Amino acid sequence: MTGLTSSQTIGPFPHEGWRWAFDATQAMRPSGAALTVEGTIYDGAGQPIDDAVLEAWAPDSAARERDQPMPAFRRVASGARGEFRFDLTAPVVRGNGEPALYVTVFARGLVTHQFTAVVLEDDAGLAHSAILQQVPEARRATLIARKKALDRYEWNVWMQGGQETVFFDYT
Amino acid sequence: MRMTSTKFAPVAQGVYPSPVHAPYKSTRLRGPLQSALRVGAPAASLPAFQIPLALVKPLDADLTAQGAGVPLGEKIGVTGRVVDEDGLPVTHSLIEVWQCNSAGRYFHSKDQHAAPLDPNFFGFGKFLTDENGRYRFITIKPAAYPWGNHPNAWRPAHIHFSLFGNVYAQRLVTQMYFPGDPLHVLDPIFNSIYDERARQSLVAQFSIEESVGDVMLGYTFDIVLRGRAATPLGL
Repeated sequence: MTGLTSSQTIGPFPHEGWRWAFDATQAMRPSGAALTVEGTIYDGAGQPIDDAVLEAWAPDSAARERDQPMPAFRRVASGARGEFRFDLTAPVVRGNGEPALYVTVFARGLVTHQFTAVVLEDDAGLAHSAILQQVPEARRATLIARKKALDRYEWNVWMQGGQETVFFDYT
Repeated sequence: MRMTSTKFAPVAQGVYPSPVHAPYKSTRLRGPLQSALRVGAPAASLPAFQIPLALVKPLDADLTAQGAGVPLGEKIGVTGRVVDEDGLPVTHSLIEVWQCNSAGRYFHSKDQHAAPLDPNFFGFGKFLTDENGRYRFITIKPAAYPWGNHPNAWRPAHIHFSLFGNVYAQRLVTQMYFPGDPLHVLDPIFNSIYDERARQSLVAQFSIEESVGDVMLGYTFDIVLRGRAATPLGL
């Protein structure tokens, strides 16, 4: 086994180098049913993080976004109030408790990227969600996006604190 | 595809940085306090995001060729091989790089360091590894710059790397440092990695073989992403 290369923060200045993917995300125009997941990223003092970058990956959307600039992938920078928004193609199969998107979080002061995932509150299969069942019950809510309107969900990221988001180390 | 029946090994203690490393102030409220939860998800070993080839242009690998003229500073070539922990090459995989210029200034609206911008250098690029996991790009050697974390806080010269790997769980963002820099031992970001070998894994090597005549000096920087096949079943 070879020695793993360590991780480092993105720092405060990734935006120009990562802009091509912000732009491609903006240019996505999914033709099918749409779904929005939006929220705010907070630090341990409850302050919004205005220089985070979040990537969302929805492998099931790859086929349906084949004609789009960047199928199945989104990259967004958090705004001045820590806000972010993902506009997605709605999953074909709903109600199986699978994540609607897999999210990777990056920020200044975050020395290793963090993996997490989002399931939808009104997913009929939530009780059988394979990923939620691996999470202690008291922390599951951090992965569940709350329904705000038709196909519009709120999901916040907390880096620390009582509602610290569950971050994954995939096996 | 390969590696479907085994698991990603846990990262050994100290190899990844400490999420909260108090000398690096921004980690105090941003580093998760709970350990990452070991979970299994089929998505983790699905093929990573594949950048549409139309978005990767050959010139994206030459950071010195983005302006109307030639940038100031020491031109260098950086090359290396990306493999996983099992020694398998990470092939046709996207790498992004970004950095400051030869005066220590980022092309970024939030960088207020009183060093000059270079109208011929923006400091970012992207490219793919080849079928052997090898990559190469051309750039200008970045400089150290102050960052206000503590008195006389200067970041050692570094190039940021973002790698997508071949499967989703291999995603990595890191920084490549230059050999012989006296700022390494003083830098809280570099030293948030407690394992000595892991810290040194981020220091490139100078290579006279990779230098190109009168044109540029060469550095090599090999990268190891997480692997699965070496992990015993049942861990």
